[in-house]
Amino acid sequence: MRIQNSLCIIRARLAAVAAVTALALFGSPAMAAAPESAPESAPATYVGEKACLQCHEPANKHFGHTLHAKVFRLNPKNDTERQVCEACHGPGSKHVSKVDDKNFIISFTREWGTPIEKQNTQCLQCHKGGQRLHWPGSTHASNKLGCSDCHNPMANASAKGLLKKASISETCYTCHQQQRAEFKKRSHMPVPEGKMSCEDCHNPHGSTTKPLLKADSVNEVCYPCHAEKRGPFLWEHAPVRENCINCHSPHGSNHDKLLVSSRPQLCQQCHSPSVGHPGQFFRNDQTAASALIGGAQSARVIGRSCQNCHTQIHGSNHPSGARFQR
Amino acid sequence: MKARIRSRLKILTLCVGAAVVQLAAAAAQADTGVGVDTVLGNALNPGTGNTMRDRDPAGLSGQPQTRRTPTGQLYELPYLPVTPKATESGWTYSGSVEAGVLGGDANEKNATFRMYKDLDNGLYLNNFEVEAEKADEARFVEAVGGGVGRNDQYFGVEFGRYNDWKVEAFYNETPHVFTSTYRSLWSGLGTDNLTLNALTPGGTTSAAVTGPNIVNALAATENSELSLVRKKGGVRYDTNLSDAWKFFGSYSNEKREGARPFAAVFGGGGGGGNVEIPESIDYNTHDLLAGLRYSDSLTSLNLQVAASLFRNNIDTMTFDNPLFITTNTIAGVPATTFTQGRYDLYPDNDYYNAKGEYARALPDFYSGRFTAVASLSRLRQNDNLIPPSMYPLTGGTINGVSTADNWNTTAALSKSSADAEINIRLLDLGLALNPTDALNVKGKVRYYETKNSTEYWACNPLTGQWGRLLNDGSGGNFPIPNATAGNNPVGTLNTAYNAAGCNLAATQALGLVPSAGNGGIRNIPFDYKQFNYTLGADYRVSTASSLNATFEREEYEREYRERDKTWEDKLKLGYTNRGIEDGTVRASYERTNRRGSEYHPDPYDPFFSTSLGPLPTATGTNVASWIHIMDSFRKFDLADRDQNILNARFNYMVATDLDVGVALQYKDARYPDSAYGRNDRQKQNSLSLDLNYQPSAEVAVYGFYSYQASRMHQTGLQANACVIGTTYNFLSNGAVQTTALTAAQIAAGITIVSTTTVTAADFLAVCGAASDTSPLYPTSRTWDVTSEDRNDTLGMGLRYDFGKAKLDLNYTYSTSRTQISYGYNAAALGLTAAQEALIGSGMPDLEFKQQILDASLLVPISKAAATRLFYRYEKGTIRDWHYDGVAQNPVPATNAVYLDAGPQDYKASVVGLFLQVAF
Repeated sequence: MRIQNSLCIIRARLAAVAAVTALALFGSPAMAAAPESAPESAPATYVGEKACLQCHEPANKHFGHTLHAKVFRLNPKNDTERQVCEACHGPGSKHVSKVDDKNFIISFTREWGTPIEKQNTQCLQCHKGGQRLHWPGSTHASNKLGCSDCHNPMANASAKGLLKKASISETCYTCHQQQRAEFKKRSHMPVPEGKMSCEDCHNPHGSTTKPLLKADSVNEVCYPCHAEKRGPFLWEHAPVRENCINCHSPHGSNHDKLLVSSRPQLCQQCHSPSVGHPGQFFRNDQTAASALIGGAQSARVIGRSCQNCHTQIHGSNHPSGARFQR
Repeated sequence: MKARIRSRLKILTLCVGAAVVQLAAAAAQADTGVGVDTVLGNALNPGTGNTMRDRDPAGLSGQPQTRRTPTGQLYELPYLPVTPKATESGWTYSGSVEAGVLGGDANEKNATFRMYKDLDNGLYLNNFEVEAEKADEARFVEAVGGGVGRNDQYFGVEFGRYNDWKVEAFYNETPHVFTSTYRSLWSGLGTDNLTLNALTPGGTTSAAVTGPNIVNALAATENSELSLVRKKGGVRYDTNLSDAWKFFGSYSNEKREGARPFAAVFGGGGGGGNVEIPESIDYNTHDLLAGLRYSDSLTSLNLQVAASLFRNNIDTMTFDNPLFITTNTIAGVPATTFTQGRYDLYPDNDYYNAKGEYARALPDFYSGRFTAVASLSRLRQNDNLIPPSMYPLTGGTINGVSTADNWNTTAALSKSSADAEINIRLLDLGLALNPTDALNVKGKVRYYETKNSTEYWACNPLTGQWGRLLNDGSGGNFPIPNATAGNNPVGTLNTAYNAAGCNLAATQALGLVPSAGNGGIRNIPFDYKQFNYTLGADYRVSTASSLNATFEREEYEREYRERDKTWEDKLKLGYTNRGIEDGTVRASYERTNRRGSEYHPDPYDPFFSTSLGPLPTATGTNVASWIHIMDSFRKFDLADRDQNILNARFNYMVATDLDVGVALQYKDARYPDSAYGRNDRQKQNSLSLDLNYQPSAEVAVYGFYSYQASRMHQTGLQANACVIGTTYNFLSNGAVQTTALTAAQIAAGITIVSTTTVTAADFLAVCGAASDTSPLYPTSRTWDVTSEDRNDTLGMGLRYDFGKAKLDLNYTYSTSRTQISYGYNAAALGLTAAQEALIGSGMPDLEFKQQILDASLLVPISKAAATRLFYRYEKGTIRDWHYDGVAQNPVPATNAVYLDAGPQDYKASVVGLFLQVAF
C-alpha cells in the first residue's frame, strides 16, 4: 500500500509539473510557478485534475457521475468551474508536494480537519445567494454545520441534491431524531411514506424565520398544501388565522389530525363561555360505550368531538357560520 | 446497420418514455428556497428509486474505511457506479426497472395501514429510472417513476443542458385514507349532492321512530372508506442567464378528490340533532411561481412572484337529512321541512406574493453583511354567498316576523359576496459585522403584518332583523329587545330593532336592552402586527469551538384579541465544539418570558348583540350571556409564559466504523398568570440515541431509539347562572343553589357557607370573576385535566451482503400512550354516584402501537438482472376513546348519529417478488 501511495504521488507530481509547464507556456503567468520549486510562503497554484486523479482515481470513479462533475467537465462557465477538483479543494500544488500536510488542501471530512468556515466558503463561492442567501447567521450556520454535514458532493447517494443519505428526510434525521420519532406517531405528515420531505416546509440553508421556514410565517408554509384553509373567510377563528401550530403539531401527534391535544380538551383551553357547553366538564361517561351502560352520550366527546357541530373550524363562508356550523 | 437501428430505437424509446412521463406530469420540483414537492417517492420507494444497489468496497478513497462528516458521522459507502451504455449518436444511457407481483395482505383495507400508501395484490411496477447524457453537448435526460397505476404513483423527468438550463416535470399522487370504518347512509360521496340510500329525508313520524330506522339502516350498511387522493403535477424551468443571473419559473396543478369525515348539526345551539356526514372534496389548485436570482462576489438578490389559485368545484354541498330534528327559534314551520341541509364549503381563493431578498457584503465595514427582505402578499376571496336557508319557510315566524321567502335568497344578506381580503407585509433587515476574526455580531429587525379588511354584518335587510338563521333555518340566534320587565319601556315590541333597518347606530340610538349579550352580529377581522428585534454575537473560542448568545424581543400587536400587545424576551446561549477528541457537542439553552398589556377577557362586545343597547338592569334578567368569559381565563397564545428550553446533541465516534449520537431536549413552560385555561407546567422532553455501524461494504447496521414525554395541564370551570335579583347559596359540599337546604342536605350535614345576591350594579363584577362566591363562576365547579404523553420509538436496520444474495432489513416499533386524568367536585357539578362510577378519574388511555418490518432479499441472476423477495409486516394497535362503542352504538341518543367507528387494529403481511433489470 505504501509503495502504491508513493507511486501515485510521483505520478501526481509529474502530472503537476506537466500541467504547470503547460500553463506556463499557454496559460496565465500567475499560475505558472512549478509546485516543486515554489517557496513555502507562495500561494498554491492549480495543478489540474489529471494530477489529482493520479492518486484519487477511486474518488473520481464516483465523482464523475455527480452533477458537479458534469458541470465542471462538460460545461464549465468560469475559471473556477474549469478547475474541476480544485474548484472545491483549492489549488493543489502544495498538496502534491506534501500530501500529508492538511493545510495544503481543503477537504470536507472530519478526518482532514479543514476549518468549517473555510469549507463552507469554498461551497459558497458558487452557491451563495439564491436559496442560500440567508445561510450566514442561520441556525445551522450558528451551530457550525459544514455543507458536507448534509451533502456528499463526491458521490450520488441520493436521487437529488448530492445528499449524504438516500433522501432528504434521512439526511435530516441524522441530527433531528426527535422529528423522526414524531413522524412515527399515529397522525403524521406523509414523510415516512415518501410523499413529503422536511424541505417542503423548511429551508435548511436559512430563512428569515428561526425554524428555517420556507415562507414568511407558519401559516404561509401550510397554505401551499392546504390552500382551502387559506381563506380569508367571512367568519374567522383567531388562533387559526394567526398560527396553525396553535392547534396542530406539525410533525406528528398521538392525537387525530396532528392535534396538540385531544378534543374537546384542546378547544377548552380557549373556550369557557358563560353560556353553553364549551366550559363544561367532559368525561368518560359520555362516550358511546358508556351510553350502553348508563352514561349519557355527548356529541362533544364522541368521534370528531367539537367538530361534530363546529365543522368549519378553520373558518366559514356561510352567512350564518359565525360558530362554524355551516 | 442493425446495431445502429437498435441504438436509434433505444434512443427513441428513451425519448418517448421521457415524453410520456412528461406528459403525465405537471408542477415544479421545488428547491430548498421555494415551493413544496421536494421529493418523489412512495412508501415502498421512500428514497425515490432502487436503494439496494451494490456498494463500492473501495469507497471514495480506494481504501475500505469510510469517511466522516465534519460533525463526525459516517458517510455511507457509495453505490457502485453504473457504467452507461453508449450509442452511435453520442448519447450514453443507463437505467433500471423493478417490477413484479405483490401478494399476501397487500389489499388490507385498514385506514391506518393505507393512510398514505396504496398497496394491492397483483402486478406491480415498483420503480424505474432512466438517465441519458450526450456529453459533447452537455445534454441530459433523466426520468424516474414508481408505484405505476396506484394512487401513490409518481413520475419525474428532467432534461436540459448542464450548467445552462433544465426543465423538470413531475406527477405525484398522494392518497389520504381517513377511515375505513365509515358506514355511509348516502350516495353521491364526492359530489355536491348526498342522497339518502334507504332512509326518508327528514325522518319518519318522530325522532323516536327515526332513530331505530337509522340503526336498522346502519346494520345493513357495510363499512366503507373515506379518502381523498391528491393528484399533482407540474413543470419548472431553470436557466442560468449568465454567471450571476438565474431565472426560474414554474407551474403546478393539484386536484384533490374524494371525501373526508365531516358532520352536520341542526337546531340552534346544536340541540336539534347531529349526524356525521361525509364532506365531498373536489379541489383544484393552480400555483405559479417565477423568480430571478442574482449573485456576485458582493451582492445577492432574489426577486420572486407567486400566485396560487384555489378552486373548489363543490361550492355548496347539499345533503339529505336522515334525522327527525328538533327546531328552535322559528315557529310555525314543522321540523319535517328540513329534509336537507346545505354547506357552503371552502370558497375559491386567490393568493399573490411578491418578494425581494437582498444581501450585500460590506468587506470594508468590519467585514459586514447587510440583508433586506420585503414581501407583500394578498389573500383574497369573493365567493358568492349563499342564502341562510334553502327553504321558503312559508308560514313561519321568528319573533313575530314572517319568514316566508325572507331567508332563501341572498337579498337576506348584508352583502351578496364575501369580498374578503387580508394583506400581508414583511420587512426584514439585518446587519452582521465581524469586528475581529473571532467575533461576529448581528442585529436584525423584522416586521410582519396581516391586515384583514373583511366586513360582514349579520342583519337581514329584508326584515331588519339582527342575528343569524342557523343550520338551514332549523335554529336561530336573533337579538331582540329584552322581554324582562323593567329593562325596556312597557310595550316595546319584539320587532323594535327591525325598524332601524340594519343600521347599527340607529339601533343603538333606540336605547333598548337586547335579549342576550352573546349573539354574533358581525365578523371579527382578526389581524396582527409582529415585531422582532434581535441582537446576537458569535465568538470563536478556538478553531473548532464557539459560543453564541442571542437576545430577541418579539412583540405582537393584535386587533380584537384579549391583549392589545404581548412581548416576549428570549435569551439564548449556544455552544458548539467540534474539537473534542472523537466527538462533537452542540448545546443551547433558551429562556423566554412572555408578558403583555392588560388582559381584557372579553374584547368582543362590538361584534356581539351586547353592543346593540345598554346593559340590563331589571330584576329577573338572566345576564350570563353578557359575561362572555371569566376574567381569570387566559388563552394560551396570549398568556404570560416563562419557558426554558435546553437542547443538546453529542456525536461520538466510538470506532473507525461506528458512531453514536445522543440528542436531548428539555422544554418546560409555565403560565404564571393563568388560573384557568392551559396552565401550570407544560413539559416536553425527549432523549434520542442513534447508532451507525459500517464495518464493511458487505455489512451495515443502524439503530435508533427516541423517548419523548410531554405533559399539559388545563383548568376549566363549568358555568352556573347569573340572574339579577337572585340570591345564590353556596353549600359546604360545593353545590350552588337558589333554594333553601333540603331536609336530605341538612341530614347529610351540608350547610350554606355563603350567599351572593346579584344586582344590576354588580353583576359584571360578581359574575364575571371566578370566586368561591361567584354565582356564575363558582370555583367549586372547577375541573382540571392533565394530559401526559409518552412515546417510544425504536428502529433498527441491517444490510448484509452474503455474496450470492443481499439482505436488507428495516424495522421500527413505535408506541404512544396519552393518559388523560381529571379532577372535579361531583357535588358541585351535580353528578350522581352512578355517574361518578362511570366518570372515574380520567378518560381511557389513548394508545398507538405500530410495528413495521421491511425485509428484502436480493438474488442476482446476472450482471443486469436480479430478483428481489420482499416482505413487509405491519401491525398496528390503536385505542381512542372518541370511538369507544361507536360501532355497537352508532345512535347512542335520539338525534345523535355517529357513522365513523374510528381507527382499528390491523396486522398485514405483504409479500412481493420483483425482477430488477438494469440496462
